[in-house]
Amino acid sequence: MCFFPLFRSKENRLTMGLPNASGDLSTEVEVDAFRRLFPLRFYEKHLLESIRPDARPLGRARETTIALALAKIGSTTMLAAIKMEVMTPSLETPDEGCIAIDFHMPPICSPIVRPGRPAEGAPVVAKQLSDTILSSGMINLKELSLVSGKAAWMAYLDIYCLDADGALFDTALLSAVAAFSHLEIPVVSLNDDGKIVLSEEQGLSDREPVNKEKRKINLSSVPFSLTCVLHKNYILADPTAEEESIMDTIVTVVLDSSSQLVSLHKPGGTVLAYTSAIQDCIALTRQRVKELQKILEEGISGMEVD
Amino acid sequence: MAAKPGSAPVTYSPNLGQKTRPPIFKDNDLDWVRPDGRGFHQCRPAFFRTGAVNSASGSAYAELGSTKVIVSVFGPRESKKAMMYSDTGRLNCNVSYTTFATPVRGQGSDHKEFSSMLLKALEGAIMLETFPKTTVDVFALVLESGGSDLPVVISCASLALADAGIMMYDLVAAVSVSCLGKNLVIDPVLEEESYQDGSLMLTCMPSRYEVTQLTFTGEWSTPDINEAMQLCLDACSKLGKVMRTCLKEAASASQE
Repeated sequence: MCFFPLFRSKENRLTMGLPNASGDLSTEVEVDAFRRLFPLRFYEKHLLESIRPDARPLGRARETTIALALAKIGSTTMLAAIKMEVMTPSLETPDEGCIAIDFHMPPICSPIVRPGRPAEGAPVVAKQLSDTILSSGMINLKELSLVSGKAAWMAYLDIYCLDADGALFDTALLSAVAAFSHLEIPVVSLNDDGKIVLSEEQGLSDREPVNKEKRKINLSSVPFSLTCVLHKNYILADPTAEEESIMDTIVTVVLDSSSQLVSLHKPGGTVLAYTSAIQDCIALTRQRVKELQKILEEGISGMEVD
Repeated sequence: MAAKPGSAPVTYSPNLGQKTRPPIFKDNDLDWVRPDGRGFHQCRPAFFRTGAVNSASGSAYAELGSTKVIVSVFGPRESKKAMMYSDTGRLNCNVSYTTFATPVRGQGSDHKEFSSMLLKALEGAIMLETFPKTTVDVFALVLESGGSDLPVVISCASLALADAGIMMYDLVAAVSVSCLGKNLVIDPVLEEESYQDGSLMLTCMPSRYEVTQLTFTGEWSTPDINEAMQLCLDACSKLGKVMRTCLKEAASASQE
């Protein structure tokens, strides 16, 4: 398999060294070399034992935290922000607002992104996010209306990836959901020029605000997702960047809070997924949704106490 | 990526007019208070933390008031193919803004000069000969712009370089001073920067007492320049101490 005797001998020593890799520095260095040279075999050795290099069982996701609109799964970090601006609604939908979703991968997030050109996966994630959020029915666009036919909110949702280590879509969706659940809409009124302005700042406090009640957006069915990597018969939930690059078949399942399927995404890959594999992915996602719901609730209530 | 295909509606922010404040400092107006209640020669409290981004070789997060930045350092790694051979290492810098960094959406992209200024401020402090033929990339992202953005980016970048283990002569600390009428205010916030008559930024290596970059714009008198430089140098040495403490804390935490 390998033409270089140097590599082969190292590898042989490794197979002996692996089971008791504790404390011995020389063994550790060689494990690292083996991991870099034969990443797939390195992983397969772990998969046989039903464990992953970061000590997770195959179906377990990484530690997840939410603070305001910052979501962290393992070391993957996403920051989302919503800016509300006013627009004139289109003629076909006079009493609906609009949501514009953008996903950014600035060069700080990963060694493979260089300034000047967009990151490879970013447009895919952006499209997926946009499709998921708009089709899940999480937000009723009618709630974003201000004056029918005249003015409605345009919500610009921008998600920035601050640290990329796999499962980008899952983390981005989580931060987007967190951002919407914290969103507070300012009180606005119509001024004499027919423009919508902030009530307090323009001294129009005496005038009847146009959005007296609609200060929070009701999230009806919140979408949550889980990305899995397929390799042979193994299913690895919530992959790291390394796992995603070595085993290239990815399945992303999005379920809403009542466990209804919102979307299922399998962009090709070398492994053909059988029905059973897809069903297993969905089952894993169902468990994950429960976890995420709890984490999100804790994140929101934690903020309200402060 | 608009939600409706084929339409890009024109939008505007309901936060229309800037709050109109009367011109300040025109007639020895010493009663004026800074927006955040600081003294004229008082910096904002600085918070630094290294190791913000795991996928980078080194990184740091800095927060001064509402100014928040993240800097990642990658490398030393292979230079671009088109680059000429070089005995010494190269430094490549980039500064970008998030779309929500500024009060008006998407206004923050107007800082093309920051990348080269960051490069020039750091270059003198780095031992480029320790990584020949390779490039170190320094990328900064301004999460929220609250004034004095470039000085914060520069200080944060030097911490990120230290975190990445890039050899340097010293940390680089940067502070700016705004001239408003007859008064000098240190570490200006966004609002003060928009009224300023002149600004001065000084970046230096505090323990060597060497200046790596000095820029000023606008109207200045010679005594004012002297005073402003002295203010900056003092503030830089204090900032340097805060940065050093941050590195020490990170080192002792990783030992445990």
